[in-house]
Amino acid sequence: MSEQPESYEAAVERLEQIIDRLDSGRAGLRETLDLCREGRELVVYCTAELDAVGEGLEELRLDELASKLESEAT
Amino acid sequence: MDLPGPFPVGRYARTLRDELRKRARVQLIGEVTGLRHTRKQTYFELRDGDGAVPCTIWANELNELALPDGALRDGAEFVASGGPDYFVGSPTSSPGFSFRATDLRLAGEGDLLARLEALRKQLQAEGLFEPQKRLRRAPLPKAIGVVTAETGAARRDLLAGLRRRGWAGTVVWAFAPVQDRRAAPAIARAIRELAERPEVEAIVVARGGGSLADLWAFCDETLCRTVALLGVPVISAVGHERDSTLIDDVAAVACSTPTHAAEAAVPLDCEAARRDLRRCASALRRAGEGAVGARSRHLVSLARGPERALRRERVALNQKTREIRAASERTVGERRGFQRRIAGAVIARAARRAAGAEASGRRDALRRADVAFRAHDPERTLERGYALAEDGAGEPVTGAAAAIAAGRVRLRFADGSVGAEIEPEGEGDERAA
Repeated sequence: MSEQPESYEAAVERLEQIIDRLDSGRAGLRETLDLCREGRELVVYCTAELDAVGEGLEELRLDELASKLESEAT
Repeated sequence: MDLPGPFPVGRYARTLRDELRKRARVQLIGEVTGLRHTRKQTYFELRDGDGAVPCTIWANELNELALPDGALRDGAEFVASGGPDYFVGSPTSSPGFSFRATDLRLAGEGDLLARLEALRKQLQAEGLFEPQKRLRRAPLPKAIGVVTAETGAARRDLLAGLRRRGWAGTVVWAFAPVQDRRAAPAIARAIRELAERPEVEAIVVARGGGSLADLWAFCDETLCRTVALLGVPVISAVGHERDSTLIDDVAAVACSTPTHAAEAAVPLDCEAARRDLRRCASALRRAGEGAVGARSRHLVSLARGPERALRRERVALNQKTREIRAASERTVGERRGFQRRIAGAVIARAARRAAGAEASGRRDALRRADVAFRAHDPERTLERGYALAEDGAGEPVTGAAAAIAAGRVRLRFADGSVGAEIEPEGEGDERAA
């Protein structure tokens, strides 16, 4: 990806702008292809963000979190 | 030093006691701590976030109050009526100040609300309701910290709410008591510890409903100041719809139920977001394919343009050629007809002249003449490949001198005519000479 979006909201906002521009039919061929490429990258980013909180709810106690992070660090 | 005295200390102590006893009798409200009974008296402190006062009540007066069993206990909110007093001490006991209570009652909802209101005004005046509300809340936190009781419906409801949101990240539990005098400091500590974990992007503080006294820990001034100044957004879900605690005012978001808290902690509905993303991906694919496809078709159509134009021109040209040929053949035919008509008239005239002589001999002579005439028909000659030179008036040019004189002639062939320029002294002549 050329540039990592600032946040999920920023990515979604940009994605909506891109779709609006494409739907308007005013974008030329080069712009359309560039927008499609950028849009696809944003969809990949957003999907990854959603996937990161979609693989199964994990419950930890605060002390467990600390020891888990310590064991990951070592 | 010009100070009065020195006075005997015992007399001073009594004077101090008498002065204090003159002060107005009042009611104090606070949390009971350090409760201790002796045979004659009961000792405790009334305490709140700002300070404390040591209190005493005579055992017999306390008994007459007939408080419910166990009501006077550490952590309970009480209202004490009385005034300041000073015990001057004795040969066997130390002197000391106390608020001598003559009446004690459990703080009622009205007392607590009055305290809550005063505290609320104070924190609001200090601007402590705002900082949490200005914090950015991640739409999709990967880890959420939760402070609640280890057992209870709040925990279960919150998990159900998170699952309904389609969110399946990490929940970090920080269990704490949520109802006694240990609750507020324990909750404040849990919140601080969760906020220290960088992966925790939101903290939910949840507890089921109860009376204001039950929820009083969530009105604790120290706890509320901790929340107000925290760098991580806190979502409070304490009590039910009508319960309003001070933590609700300072938190980033106040929710009426743990289910609502789940929605506030994960502002993004993950299921809906997945659907939206699929829609966006399809729109992008359509736009990409459409842009190239439509333009390709247009290009192909443009590329066919010149070919079509050529074909059109070729058809038009062929048509013209056919028209010209037809017109030319018509002209030749007309001339041929005209000459035949002339020849016919001449033959008829000759026949008429011969009619008076011997008819058969003349008919023979006529047939011969006709054959001879046909042999001399210029058209027949032309059909054999000869050309007839004509001047501008269409008269035959029969010699070189006449041709030179005409300057320009038309050469009539069997299949049409062409113009020709006459060169007076042609090279051909010179070579012939």
